[in-house]
Amino acid sequence: MTDPDILIVGGGLHGLSAALHLARAGRRVRVLEARQVGAQASGYSAGGVRTLGRHPAEVPLALEAIERWHTIADLVGEDCGFRPVGQVRVAETEAELASLAARVEHLRAAGWTHEELADADTVRRLLPAVAPHVVGGIVARRDGFASPLRTTRAFGRAAEAARAVVIEGARVAAVERQAGLWRLRTQGGETHAAPLLLNAAGAWGGRIARAAGEPIPFGFNAFQMLLTEALPPLLTPVVGAAGRPLSFKQSDSGHVMIGGGHKGQADLDTGAIRLDVPRLAYSARTALDLFPALQGARIVHAWAGIEGVTPDELPVIGRSAVADGLVHAFGFSGHGFALAPVIGARVAGLLLDGPEAHDLTAFAPARFTFGGPVPETRPALLQPAG
Amino acid sequence: MSAIETPRIVIVGGGPAGRAAHAALPGAVLIARPDATAWHAEPGHLWVEGDGRVWAEPFDALLVCADEPLLLATLGCGIQAGRVVADAAGRTGVPGISVAGRVAGAADRQDAERQAILAARALAAGSVDTDAPVIPPAETLAALRLDPVALAALLEQPVGLERDRAALAQHAILGAVVPARPVSLAALAGLVATMPEAVPPQADMDILA
Repeated sequence: MTDPDILIVGGGLHGLSAALHLARAGRRVRVLEARQVGAQASGYSAGGVRTLGRHPAEVPLALEAIERWHTIADLVGEDCGFRPVGQVRVAETEAELASLAARVEHLRAAGWTHEELADADTVRRLLPAVAPHVVGGIVARRDGFASPLRTTRAFGRAAEAARAVVIEGARVAAVERQAGLWRLRTQGGETHAAPLLLNAAGAWGGRIARAAGEPIPFGFNAFQMLLTEALPPLLTPVVGAAGRPLSFKQSDSGHVMIGGGHKGQADLDTGAIRLDVPRLAYSARTALDLFPALQGARIVHAWAGIEGVTPDELPVIGRSAVADGLVHAFGFSGHGFALAPVIGARVAGLLLDGPEAHDLTAFAPARFTFGGPVPETRPALLQPAG
Repeated sequence: MSAIETPRIVIVGGGPAGRAAHAALPGAVLIARPDATAWHAEPGHLWVEGDGRVWAEPFDALLVCADEPLLLATLGCGIQAGRVVADAAGRTGVPGISVAGRVAGAADRQDAERQAILAARALAAGSVDTDAPVIPPAETLAALRLDPVALAALLEQPVGLERDRAALAQHAILGAVVPARPVSLAALAGLVATMPEAVPPQADMDILA
């Protein structure tokens, strides 16, 4: 192996997207993945491709990303299972509908028209099986969903085709900066060195940052999801709820996926997950409340993936505030899947000495040191994981 | 003098081994299909579906006499060639977890009953905490990890040797494959009436190692 120009820690979707863009720019890239490609959040996400309900700081990135998703095969050579079926956020009370209406109004004032307010009849046309108590909602018609593991592998294959090197089973155990090089030692004892380093280590990103001398407040969640047996067609768009965590969709095979943010317990050292059955049960209850046709369905699979979470639930994206040649892209807090095609390009730009992108300001690693994120007048809607 | 509490023993399986074990341990709780189905297990309790509801069945000792290798793999038991590894008394190496019957390699009904009685006697003698060596899982690694939808399609196949072998191969690379058997969404939904209180993210202040 020739010495790389850039080391990337993390063989998840964001690390591989960055690897793809950097390799296509002619850089020698080496990705170090602790387990297998897509082993954690990237392979376990609910796969939501969503502009709907985003924090205002994420809206420009999400709108750019959705355009890329509609031509994703041009980027990675396959469609990644992307289905542009739209997303709907339903309101179960008049108060929730009023809150959604205020959000749509706010977005329009900022020049964004991708979210539409929908009355009860419109929601019922989009979701014929929805429960009668739903009073309306908002719709993002160009949104959809994709297959997370298939997408991650597609980005990995495309990056390798562009001559990036992806090494699985390479868990980073030590990080040092010496003589202008980042030197990474793995648990297996191998050493890798390069002048530039991208921290895309997901839930382990905080540890990489601390090892590089940049403590960033950070935690992690094990977001749980359920899948029913294959069912007859029940719904087309992806569905969320305004008042409780929910991400709800039906795959091409008929399996209905129920997620949204209820958490199990994870162990970062072993990667082991313990599901929280009562919280899984509440996800099932939410789905059943909103879609009574699920009454006879059976759950055939339940799982959780480990996702890094920041205090403001916005990702950490940007150049290190304390170390040369280090860029961070981690902590997507359960809703980074859809952004990956854009984040990879932005991060590659930062590593290739491009100008600071103003639309990344809210995600700067130093924001926790210097008084918190860029103030926003309106928060995001409830963010369903995935 | 405080009273010594009797260990709570739960037996899974209503076949010859399960019935033999229950006869030897009449105070044990018997979970047997079709009335009650064990669909998931955690240390100290079994998740059961029956009579239109889901509940947690606590145990100090669990004796699995049904062909449920996924359930036992979830508890950390070692699996070889689709069978749970155990000593002559059915102890798996995971404290409090014993097996008998076909899941432990019994060749026929008589062998299953003999295993069950041996395991039940060991539990009755109070050897809930085993000193048997912990045996690491030994399933064959799957060549390729399945994504969750593909794994769901596998798990909804009828329970049997082929399904369990393929699922155990995924267990070897993914960790626990849950649930061991399908569970009713409506019964699961009935477990809770209100939204659980939100929990903060798990903290991580550890370093690389």
